[in-house]
Amino acid sequence: MNAPEHPYAVMAASGKRATYCYQCVAGPDLLKVSVTDGVATEVEPNFGACDIHPGGGKVCVKAYGLVQKTYNPNRVLTPMRRTNPKKGRNEEPGFVPISWEEALETIAAKLRAIRETGLRDASGYPRVAANFGGGGTPQSYMGTFPAFLAAWGPIDMGFGSGQGVKCYHSEHLYGELWHRAFTVSPDTPMCNYLISCGANVEASGGVVGVWRHANARERGMKRVQVEPHLSVTGACSAEWVPIRPKTDAAFLYALLHVLLHETARERLDLDCLTQHTSSPYLVGANGFFLRDKDTKKPLIWDLKRAAAIPFDTPDCDPALEGSYECDAVEIGADAEVVGSGKLEGKTSFGKLVAHMQPYSPEWAAGICDVPAATMRRIANEFLDHAQVGATIEIEGKTLPYRPVAVSLGKTVNNGWGGYECVWARTLLATLVGGLEVPGGTLGTTVRLTRPLAERLHSVKPGPDGFMHYPMNPTDREHWNAHPNIRNAYRSMVPLAADGPWSQALGPTHFTWMFMKETPKGLPTVTLPDVWFVYRSNPAISFWDTKALSESMARFPFVVAFAYTRDETNHMADILLPDATDLESLQLIRIGGSKFIEQFWENEGFALRQPVVEAQGEARDFTDIATELARRTGLLEGYNASINRGAACVPLKGATWDFSLDPTQVHAREDIWDAVCRAASAELSDGKQSHGLDWWKENGLATKPFAHADWYLYPTLISKGLRFEMPYQERLYRIGKELGNRLHENDMQWWDKQLAEYQALPPWKDFPGEWEKSLAVMGGKSKDFPFWLLTARSMQYAWGANVGMQMIKEVADNISGHRGVIMNTGRAEELGVADGDMVEIATPLASVRARAVVRQGIRPDTLLLLGQFDHWATPFAKDFGMPSMNSLVPMTMALTDATGSGSDVVRVSLKRAGGER
Amino acid sequence: MSFGPKPWHQTSWDFRAAFNFIFGGAGAGLLVIAAFSGLGGNSLRAEMLFAMALIGAGLVSVWFPIGRPLRAMNVGFNPFTSWMTRESFAAGAVFVLGLAAVWFGSTPLAQATAVAALVFAYCQGRILQAAKGIPAWRVPALGWLNFITALTEGAGLFVALSAVFGSPAKSVLAYFSLALIARGLAWSTYRGSIAKSAARPALTVLDRAGKVLVQFGTIAPLVLLLLGMLAADLSRIALPLAGIAALATGWQFKFMLITRAAYNQGFALPHLPVRGTR
Amino acid sequence: MTRWAMVADLRRCVGCQTCTASCKHANATPPDVQWRRVLDLEVGEYPAVKRAFVPVGCMHCDDPPCMAVCPSTATRKRPDGIVTIDYDLCIGCSYCAVACPYQARYKTDLATFAYGKATAAEEKRFDPKRLAVATKCTFCVDRIDAGMAKGLKPGVDPEATPACVNACITQTMSFGDIEDPHSNVSQLLAENQFFRMHEELGTGPRFYYIWDKKEAEA
Repeated sequence: MNAPEHPYAVMAASGKRATYCYQCVAGPDLLKVSVTDGVATEVEPNFGACDIHPGGGKVCVKAYGLVQKTYNPNRVLTPMRRTNPKKGRNEEPGFVPISWEEALETIAAKLRAIRETGLRDASGYPRVAANFGGGGTPQSYMGTFPAFLAAWGPIDMGFGSGQGVKCYHSEHLYGELWHRAFTVSPDTPMCNYLISCGANVEASGGVVGVWRHANARERGMKRVQVEPHLSVTGACSAEWVPIRPKTDAAFLYALLHVLLHETARERLDLDCLTQHTSSPYLVGANGFFLRDKDTKKPLIWDLKRAAAIPFDTPDCDPALEGSYECDAVEIGADAEVVGSGKLEGKTSFGKLVAHMQPYSPEWAAGICDVPAATMRRIANEFLDHAQVGATIEIEGKTLPYRPVAVSLGKTVNNGWGGYECVWARTLLATLVGGLEVPGGTLGTTVRLTRPLAERLHSVKPGPDGFMHYPMNPTDREHWNAHPNIRNAYRSMVPLAADGPWSQALGPTHFTWMFMKETPKGLPTVTLPDVWFVYRSNPAISFWDTKALSESMARFPFVVAFAYTRDETNHMADILLPDATDLESLQLIRIGGSKFIEQFWENEGFALRQPVVEAQGEARDFTDIATELARRTGLLEGYNASINRGAACVPLKGATWDFSLDPTQVHAREDIWDAVCRAASAELSDGKQSHGLDWWKENGLATKPFAHADWYLYPTLISKGLRFEMPYQERLYRIGKELGNRLHENDMQWWDKQLAEYQALPPWKDFPGEWEKSLAVMGGKSKDFPFWLLTARSMQYAWGANVGMQMIKEVADNISGHRGVIMNTGRAEELGVADGDMVEIATPLASVRARAVVRQGIRPDTLLLLGQFDHWATPFAKDFGMPSMNSLVPMTMALTDATGSGSDVVRVSLKRAGGER
Repeated sequence: MSFGPKPWHQTSWDFRAAFNFIFGGAGAGLLVIAAFSGLGGNSLRAEMLFAMALIGAGLVSVWFPIGRPLRAMNVGFNPFTSWMTRESFAAGAVFVLGLAAVWFGSTPLAQATAVAALVFAYCQGRILQAAKGIPAWRVPALGWLNFITALTEGAGLFVALSAVFGSPAKSVLAYFSLALIARGLAWSTYRGSIAKSAARPALTVLDRAGKVLVQFGTIAPLVLLLLGMLAADLSRIALPLAGIAALATGWQFKFMLITRAAYNQGFALPHLPVRGTR
Repeated sequence: MTRWAMVADLRRCVGCQTCTASCKHANATPPDVQWRRVLDLEVGEYPAVKRAFVPVGCMHCDDPPCMAVCPSTATRKRPDGIVTIDYDLCIGCSYCAVACPYQARYKTDLATFAYGKATAAEEKRFDPKRLAVATKCTFCVDRIDAGMAKGLKPGVDPEATPACVNACITQTMSFGDIEDPHSNVSQLLAENQFFRMHEELGTGPRFYYIWDKKEAEA
């Protein structure tokens, strides 16, 4: 393909060029790259961005790996074709270089054949599947490929690269339901007291998170880190509470108990509870809201009128506690009337108080291995710092001010117990009126509801005075008996919704598990005819990676956009070298409110420009996408998709139109020039239309984003809506309905998960789930006495940068990058010295690692940072560092109702010999 | 490579640096005793040439690992503060005077050479003492221990050689005995002075080396000397053994000191940072 | 008189190694040579254990032991306090390395690169003068000098400020003139409690570690 001549400025051979790094979800970071004679040499912050970026315009350590990333000699720099038809870990693929023409035509021929035979296979699953890793970050590098995918039609994006286990799964789903909180963050700039259960913001919060928490520390914020090991975040906290793994729900329940049973009721935010939550809603004997017979609205008890009235009746004084008899109807699952007439109703809050009664700190102490007094003190400190009743003015709006929050980390907020933890966390905030207000607990992005780019606009009225949430239907008429993709998220997980991200947030491991044996009631899970993989390495990042690799080896045709060889593209048929971070062109949205701590006071766009020429034959993703669209006859749909906004921004606005001619092949510069102009126009309400050259020169442009828009509370109030807290009647209902649907189809294998749909979740023996799993593997707890956990490494997390020598070099300065962290005392008992080789085993598998002996970890816990264990990725395969992914079994029993698991496994440890 | 924060062993100087202290010290010690032992003629010449060869071997050994051997002359640029420069000057003096002494067969020149050798040995001790990065080196007591062991090793070597080729003078044996005792005391003083500052693994190594120094490098030679005095027929075996023991134990001590006990002090925080609240 | 100093606020540091990486970029140091790096320290016994992150490097001491021992006079001290190494004089004897109580000095005898053979970026920046001689943090002296020549203020203007300070994502690192009572570093030291590493050795390091507010303000 010859790019047509275009009128854009030619890059000078030397100078500094603005670009962005979005290698992790906590980006983007805005940077400049020094170029000398056409060679990138140095990365530094884009100092021009320090005023608009909430992290002072600084750049994360991962971005400093980009120069090495560009010149890494291990790169794949020509298209390659597999010559060995056999696939498997022990099969050498025999990749040989081929031309782009051959590579693209081979792929296009496959795709054309699919279009001719049908986009879905006999089971109804898309024949084409695609995998993108890293929490959506590949989208900031894949140019216009989303436009190609949109033009294509049904694509299975539910194979995942570890979602569910490796993400904040329960937080994503329940958080988005409760407060549009796909990700949750404390309002760090104003928070004064933070309970952090395993949230490792110093490793995963990006520059902004790290910057803000450093400021908060100096300001005097007290952060209590509740975590089995002394993580980087624990190190930087005022207090470390070494809790037994997977017992965080009990810890949080104890805090709730103290707030509900040991402190004066007036200390809670009673106004918020009665006016802005479902606390006063009356609950009937069957666990469903009592409803007005005519309007079917939930009833509350009005103390003023001494009568039950619909919740939205003006001028009332709702009772927070008590039991009241009223004329009502109780409607259960599938619209079944389960009660009618004079019914006894207890307030939701009253039921909550009774529910939490058994969960005293003394009760929790035995479970969590944390002294009761510590938990009681923390609960009281939380309440003391909450300043219930205080207000603050933000941009002219008077808002409640509650400078306390609870944050949860991975393995706490996913897998069994995840629901209980996120519920308890949201409830702690709700009790003090600290949800979605300054200083409190915030949701910072939406991914399941629309529009994705504007969180507050996703707030729409739903049933019972709550926000609308696009649940996958569970009613008899609309339930999806025939899944659209292999992981069956629409059938099995109502909360996963059906938004752009839902496929990847279903139980992604189902795809892999069901390929071996599809359970009853679902169409047989098939292999995809074509599987695209980009910036994703599930053969390393998933659980039970050995079995996963074996499944992958059966895929008939795999196209991998390959930076270097890796464990997943080891199974590929075609490798395509895409131009990497510093070599390609793309415009993205920045600012507003995004992942975790990325809530800014500005929003706009940033350009990633080719800082240097692409190495070898690496080609810009946009050019690849355009060419695939052309060769598969999808050019018009592809261009139309770009025009609609698939490449960052719609090209046509109120007073501007930079749309591309859909019938033509456009060069990447022309495409992004149009995108740049549309972005300029959007930013300036049509006044400006800066083209590509301007953006290359300036790198970014923004406009203010209202600070008050960080908070959902004002929007919720203005729409007369309530937080769906504390009582989960809706979840309880859909759980029952889902159960009905599944049982109608003779599907009994999800019953354990259905039990999670509880209006007020009780504590269950969550650690016991993993002990049971051990027993299934044939082990006894006493023989496998350790909990093996993992934690993110800031230097690597999401970055797909294990091949960078410099990253390895600097990461090794932080403890745990060279082996398994274990407690000093325990190591002495076992005769293990620092540096000894040890064997970590389950009854089914074992790995070897060097012991890193530290004081800052519980004696019953082991920690393997990151996920290494590479065997094909150049450079990384020599680390000698194992991964817990090789040990974690992939089972239905360890899958919770949202379809997620946790990074936990019971293991043994013994000395394995080898040098010290 | 990634070190610390606990003390780790220095990686800058290896056995080749140790050889400079081993051979240089013994050579200097040998020069001293040879020049004042009453020896003359070819015997003195031989002893001096042997001693200078030892010093030269040490210097050559340390010349190899320097990064820029062709710039070796730059070593002489800092006599104002650097004991390494001063050592090089002293070495220069040793060779100039020593070769002159050998050439002319002059005892006064030999004695002047011995004075330069004393300075050389002293400089070597101060080289270690000035290495502030190594707690086991930076104490004044090591400077003296290094100096005294140089004299002891030289004396040991002289006694051994003398015993092989004849019978060492009583005054030589007295000097040797005093040196042995002084070295034992110097070790003891040195060990006391690093008790608190040196890293635990360094102390372990030094204690082992010190034990050898005391048992086989002090007590055993003294016993052998006594034996040699009491039983003249045993002296032909006892005296060389005493000398070699004094020499070998000094060498092993210095080898361990440079290559095994040279832990730095790592890093330490007198205060821990306050994170958020006190 | 100007006297440059570095201040690290240990309350803020998270051990991210961004300063380490930026230093490697700015100074093109070879693999395993880290003029700036951050230690991961643990103090105490489980469960009463604390962990701290501590940026280290050349402390640009008032009385640098490395300079005193240097036989070639390659190591010198500028009037503004920056300790420098003249790569043309240094003989690579490593005496300075064992004399430095902060393990700040490196010597690389052979040209080493990230992946064996030099990449294009490494080729571009390779300096044979640095082989087999002592190297260490220079406080990015070239940036300081070039920046000041342009009228910029080190510690304030990024172009005249050490790369590690520019890169620090927690505002742990500050750089400035300690003789100027109005400078950022002087203000920080006036307002906070601090210590210097191994102060008992009398080296007079110009690297200050803040650990708390002053009592009156705490």
